[in-house]
Amino acid sequence: MADEITVEARPNPDAVPTAPAGRARLRGGSLGALVAGMLAVLVGRRFLDGWTGPAWLEAWGAVFVAVCVQALPFLLLGVVLSAAIAAFVPARLLERALPRNPLLAVPIAGAAGVVLPGCECASVPVAGRLIARGVAPAAALAFLLSSPAINPVVLVATAVAFRGQPELVAARFLASLATAVVMGLLWSRFGRPEWLRPRVPSDGPTGRAAFRASLEHDFLHAGGFLVIGGMTAATLNVAVPRGLLKDLAGLPGVSVLVLAVLAVLLAVCSEADAFVAAGLSGFSTTAKLAFMVVGPMVDAKLIALQAGTFGRAFAWRFSAATFAVAVTAAALTGWWLL
Amino acid sequence: MSREVRALLHILVGAAVLHISLFSELYLRYVRRGLRPYLIASGALLVVVGLVGAAVAARELLRPTDDGHSGHDAHHGHSHGTPRTAWLLLLPVLAIYLLQPQALGAYTAQHSDSTTVRPAAATGGFAPLPATGPVPMRLADFDARAVWDTGGSLKGRQVVLTGFATPAAGAGGWYLTRLTITCCAADALTSKVEIRGGDAPPKGAWVEVTGHWQPDGRTGQDSAVPVLTADRVRGITEPGDPYE
Repeated sequence: MADEITVEARPNPDAVPTAPAGRARLRGGSLGALVAGMLAVLVGRRFLDGWTGPAWLEAWGAVFVAVCVQALPFLLLGVVLSAAIAAFVPARLLERALPRNPLLAVPIAGAAGVVLPGCECASVPVAGRLIARGVAPAAALAFLLSSPAINPVVLVATAVAFRGQPELVAARFLASLATAVVMGLLWSRFGRPEWLRPRVPSDGPTGRAAFRASLEHDFLHAGGFLVIGGMTAATLNVAVPRGLLKDLAGLPGVSVLVLAVLAVLLAVCSEADAFVAAGLSGFSTTAKLAFMVVGPMVDAKLIALQAGTFGRAFAWRFSAATFAVAVTAAALTGWWLL
Repeated sequence: MSREVRALLHILVGAAVLHISLFSELYLRYVRRGLRPYLIASGALLVVVGLVGAAVAARELLRPTDDGHSGHDAHHGHSHGTPRTAWLLLLPVLAIYLLQPQALGAYTAQHSDSTTVRPAAATGGFAPLPATGPVPMRLADFDARAVWDTGGSLKGRQVVLTGFATPAAGAGGWYLTRLTITCCAADALTSKVEIRGGDAPPKGAWVEVTGHWQPDGRTGQDSAVPVLTADRVRGITEPGDPYE
């Protein structure tokens, strides 16, 4: 398998393997292993029928499968949109759609996040594609951060979870948009292009074949990292003792930071995080706001997804900076509005 | 990763999703009911993408080539260097087919406190309960009324609650417990009611409890656990949707 990957990882499409016979064997090996594995699973199921593991493993498995299964439709929505942009939207159109000045382009792109009604899994492939199609990274990153937090589905969910507290919906909208815009501007000022993984040039083929190829490409790139995120979230979900949180909730100042960190660890979908926040008893409203501002922008699953799409060098720098900006924005907005 | 393997990977993930959403109701162990159409659409899309990919691969294999230079991925620039992490997509597939994790239950409930979010009705007043007979209620609704209803709509009423048993801290005491999910099992919240009277069922056993609320003054707190005096405890099978 390793040989096969080094062969395929060659950047030049003309660098076709020189030993077709050996390659064919490797191909067959990988496919054969997969088919043998499927047969083993079919046989293994009979033996495992009715078997239940230890309670912690069952709980871990349930959260792991839940995070993966729940995120899949949103990831696919993002992948399909991304493939459609690759195949059917001319590159020049997107380049021209936004002003050249980042001071204008970043807020516009951030506000455009309103139109993508999904959670954070959908926005990663779309933002990756926008950059590949020539949109300024600063603008695409503002869109990446804002869309999971300020789209109508999420805002309505927030209003339902915090009935009678419309100011919290407004605070979430403002703090999230502010974080996205600040991060976009920070990137245009300090970001280095080499942190972003170089993408395949966008002047590739268009039409149906390109649509299918992009769909496969984006799904396989993001999918594995979604699984890593799911495993991380499940482990933390099962392992972090909730009692510890209770003890920390009472400390003023610390509570904002505690819930911000919890948002990173739990990796709850942005469409559901308001309900989780509402259930975090004992914490101040500003702390709950921080949970909802940080969660859609930085979490265990999202860092993995970003590492898969943009590269690791980008993911950790960007996530650390976003975390700091988001906590600050939430604290300031909370102090002002709540 | 060759074209054939990529196609098979899509089909496997799609089939696993269809297995739990279209061909069974196993998805209810992990996500909320409303997600079903999206899961079916996602599974179908992945299977279709995989089948088309397999058809393209088969056509390439069957087409006579002059030499190795028209190799499969040569005119397929987009899929170069599929990351090895893509193999991880097999893990949820294996988890679904082999482990088939049970829905979250007693283990999770024991490790979290009861959460009763202050409902909107706490300020506007709760809707009146049906006038006659024992009232079947969601556990979370019972908790909300018991903890937050200053009007005392539960006073003197017989209610029917469904959940599973978890042991309480004191000797012999037990909680009737239910988990609520909003999106998926990762955001599960726990509702508990302390049951007085009757022997404790085994941990995790599903029961239906008929009884009366016993006010104890511990109201107005998110984490208060109300008390119910049981008239009858009946064992039941696990409901299709284990969450509320």
